[in-house]
Amino acid sequence: MNTLLMWIVLSPLLTSIFIGMVYMWGLKYHKLARQWYIVPALISPFVSFVLACFVFWEILTQNNILVYKPYVWLSIENVDIYMGFLGDKLSILMVLFVSFVGWMIHIYASAYMQDDEGEGKFFFYFNLFLASMLLLVLADGPLIMFIGWEGVGVCSYLLIGFYFRVSQNVVAGNKAFIVNRVGDFGFVIGMVTLFFYCTDVGFDYASIKQVVGNIPSFTLAFIGLMLFVGAMGKSAQIPLYVWLPDAMAGPTPVSALIHAATMVTAGVYMVARFNFLYELIPQVGVFIAYVGALSAFFAAIIATKQTDIKKILAYSTMSQLGYMFIAVGLGGYASGVFHVFTHAFFKALLFMGAGAVMTALHHEQDIFKMGGLRQKLPLVHGCMLVATLALCGIPPFAGFFSKDQILLEAFASGHYLLWSIATLTAGLSAYYMFRLFFVVFEGKNYNSSRHIHRLSKTMQVPIFVLAIGSLMAGFIGVPLVLGGDNHIASYLFEWTKKSLHVEHSIEFALMGLSVTVALVGVVLAYVKFYRYDFKKEYVSKGIVYNKFYVDEFYHLLIVLPLQSLSSFIASRLDIQIIDALIMGACRGVIKGGRFVSLLQNANTRFYSLLMMCGVSVFFIYLILVLG
Amino acid sequence: MGDISYLLPLLFVGVGAVVLMLLSYTKSLSISSIAKIALGFLVLAFISNVYYFGELHKVYPYENVFFGMIVSDTYSVYFNSILLVGAIATILIGWDYFRPDRRFTGEFFSLLLFSTFGMMLLVQSAELLSAFIALEIASLSLYVMIGFQTDNIRRVEASYRYLVLGSLSGVLFLFGTALIYASTKTTFLGNIGVELLPQTGKDISLAIGGATLILITFLFKISAFPFQNWTIDVYDGSPLPVSAYMASTFKVAVFAFMLRFVAMDLGYIKDYWDGLLMGVIILTLAYGTFLALAQNNLKRMLASSSIVHTGYLLIAFVSIDIIGESASSSIIYYLIAYFLSAMGAFGLISYISSSDKLRLTYEDFKGFSHVRPYMSAMLSIFMLSLAGLPGTIGFIGKFYIFSGAIEAGYTVLATSAILATFISIYYYFKLIALMYFYPSPILSNVPPLKGLPPIFIGFIAIAVLWGGIGNTFIAFFPSIDFLIDVAKLSHRSLFLQ
Repeated sequence: MNTLLMWIVLSPLLTSIFIGMVYMWGLKYHKLARQWYIVPALISPFVSFVLACFVFWEILTQNNILVYKPYVWLSIENVDIYMGFLGDKLSILMVLFVSFVGWMIHIYASAYMQDDEGEGKFFFYFNLFLASMLLLVLADGPLIMFIGWEGVGVCSYLLIGFYFRVSQNVVAGNKAFIVNRVGDFGFVIGMVTLFFYCTDVGFDYASIKQVVGNIPSFTLAFIGLMLFVGAMGKSAQIPLYVWLPDAMAGPTPVSALIHAATMVTAGVYMVARFNFLYELIPQVGVFIAYVGALSAFFAAIIATKQTDIKKILAYSTMSQLGYMFIAVGLGGYASGVFHVFTHAFFKALLFMGAGAVMTALHHEQDIFKMGGLRQKLPLVHGCMLVATLALCGIPPFAGFFSKDQILLEAFASGHYLLWSIATLTAGLSAYYMFRLFFVVFEGKNYNSSRHIHRLSKTMQVPIFVLAIGSLMAGFIGVPLVLGGDNHIASYLFEWTKKSLHVEHSIEFALMGLSVTVALVGVVLAYVKFYRYDFKKEYVSKGIVYNKFYVDEFYHLLIVLPLQSLSSFIASRLDIQIIDALIMGACRGVIKGGRFVSLLQNANTRFYSLLMMCGVSVFFIYLILVLG
Repeated sequence: MGDISYLLPLLFVGVGAVVLMLLSYTKSLSISSIAKIALGFLVLAFISNVYYFGELHKVYPYENVFFGMIVSDTYSVYFNSILLVGAIATILIGWDYFRPDRRFTGEFFSLLLFSTFGMMLLVQSAELLSAFIALEIASLSLYVMIGFQTDNIRRVEASYRYLVLGSLSGVLFLFGTALIYASTKTTFLGNIGVELLPQTGKDISLAIGGATLILITFLFKISAFPFQNWTIDVYDGSPLPVSAYMASTFKVAVFAFMLRFVAMDLGYIKDYWDGLLMGVIILTLAYGTFLALAQNNLKRMLASSSIVHTGYLLIAFVSIDIIGESASSSIIYYLIAYFLSAMGAFGLISYISSSDKLRLTYEDFKGFSHVRPYMSAMLSIFMLSLAGLPGTIGFIGKFYIFSGAIEAGYTVLATSAILATFISIYYYFKLIALMYFYPSPILSNVPPLKGLPPIFIGFIAIAVLWGGIGNTFIAFFPSIDFLIDVAKLSHRSLFLQ
């Protein structure tokens, strides 16, 4: 049973290698039929999903934790770090929806990427991504997690720059990678500091859990903060969020899988995984929650003025991630993970819908050039509506339950400021999402004679499946006050905050309030955009449209000083001081070389003379020493 | 399995050498089929050797016949594996090189096997005279191998020079043995040490003199200052695969014997050598470095740099009585590291310089990466490893040696070694820079990668990288730790009773 954990990761990894080889073969020799990579690419996520279901069932019925450690990966001094897999309730829940949503998006991608010449390469990266993500989730210690962590980073980089012929995309890929490096730097520092205290017990979560109590609280806070810096990078939180909007340069399935549903939630997962650590440092947790709230709010504001359909969704992703961090920051790990879970469904669906719209309109991304798609893409319209409602937190869609729990968490723990920011953001989210929805699917005076590219069945099925998911996913966490059982909270019992006492009336009031705020947002969007006139050019300017000039600010503050420092070093320090010194030394050394080669004169008699001199010197020395 | 199983590797190689000699008399066999037969014997020997790899044991096979002159222990098995791989590698690398039109005949392979036999016997000998005989078997075969192409004056000259100087050093070995016998009445390793213990109250200055003479032979064979002059001329004058064979295997065998001798018997005497060896090491490093800097010919550069590597190895050799086990294992690991890198570099260059007339210089490699990208990549890997950059086996080897030296308190040696490494980047990276940073290639008639040698060299390149980064990254695959562990085990097996 335990070995299954490894196979969950191995299945996409092996197919990825296989696809890579097939693709290389195809490049080198003759092109192979696309079934060669489509079939394995679609099977492996399914295999992972099925295996995950088995493990899930095992955990649910036996109520135990599975650990599988096939071999020692590293041994440092006397600490053996195993290539270990840990299947507990948290990780297996993540695996379940990662593999399932991943599978759906793979199916979708097989249609989306159909005519692309780099299709094989795409699935090679895509499966590799899935393997890395699953490794990240199933790892039994931070170091193994870090392998997956970096693996998803690399795949993300590769896929953002997938259309590498456009230099802009390559720049976006670099940006994502570099910003993530900043985060990883923090993560590594946190991890190394933590390792410092674990040299006696080992470096898996269970062992770390034993030691965290002995770490001085200041150091512990430092570790927690540094680990969170890694999460900031990966999960696009202020200030390391700038890469996420640009990351939309990749193919849309990539945005759906990597930059919305799975990879970006890695930071949240990491915090939840280290719950035992963060519980000891609640002040850092509050900091995390505030960063999350600010990111959520900030991103929501930016999203209200964007015109690119994928960028709007990207900012909304960032905003929703902010919610998750509010939850995990305040110790409500179950709620955070619950939101990760529901979010994966509806955000993947939104991206797939956006991809479908873009495909239909021949890669148009500006929402103000779309319009009136309700009649032409009825299925997409319906599914997008479901997803939008889910994101806005309208009951009974998935987002309602999870978002509501987060709000409740914030309110109940007494952080009213957090709660109000989050509630306000809920209204903003409803506004910008319905703005998108109305402009794309409704509106008047749109160009109806436009040719619409037909959508294949392969593309529609996953959309439909995920729409059902967005509709139903929330029901696993229906709160008690609404007569539900809140399965998710009882399932993730260990990750639930123990002391949450709110009266039912207040809970109802909170729910009502958040729904009302969301509805206000919807109404505002309705008034402004339901009958949007496409003859009017949308004026896009202003500080919000320009994303508060954060990119420019970073450029000015970080990139430019670095560049000028580099050029100073290159032109002054290097040439005039270092080079001069080194070259001087080199000339001396080379002269020495010439002198030495005089001894190397190819004269055998001279050589033997030298040898005998050597022998003499040796014995003179011995005589001196022995006396 | 009786005693014979411990002798099988030796027997296979020895019998193989005789058989090949007889076979080459009949002209019906082509040279490549003789090469195949030689390979077959070597592989058989290797397999029978690997059987005991990593198993802690120490056996004196047929003690009533050999009287304990020959020993088989974990240590010898470890070194024999290196030597056999070296011999196999030489044949594979020179697969296209050893051709009749270059005046190579079947006897050449017989000599190769004899030489390997000698080296293996050296590793396994537990007695000074048998060690001398083994050393001479190995050397004599090598002299002939170097001068095998009698039409080439440079080969003959190199062979002659090596013969003269080698005999000189052989005499010293014999003289040293005589002195030791005079002092201790025994030539058996293990017994000598007992006789030399201070408790016996004997005057051991004769033995010290004798051991020093043997040390000199040892220093000569591994080309340490001031006995290094032959190195460049002989390496340069020999056929490239033979240079590769000499550089990589002979050093291993000689080191193996000396390590055994010192560890078992000379612990007490070694103290007298400390100052001497420090001087030798610093001068060796300096001499080799300066010499390598001045070279323009690639083969001569590699030969000079092999002197520098001797210096590194000697550092671990000095620290052996302070941090015994880890010093020995770092020597053993470094020998493997150097063996792989040098074998690869020499082998690849011999493959590139298909014509003997061509004497490859740095200049020839300008822009080489544009013609032969894979070859350039492999050559770069070997250069990186020789220079000891992280990510290659050379780095790990150097790391163990330097950190061991610091641990043992030889900071001066470690510093000068690091300095030498620092400078060595110049002559190694010069090649990489020339290959990659020049637009148009100069060498254009290089044969493409085809046949056995490139595949084998590719394997060596992978092994070099594997030894540098490969921890247990792939499950259940032997890694650095494994080699180090076996090296430590080998060291322990020396002291088994």
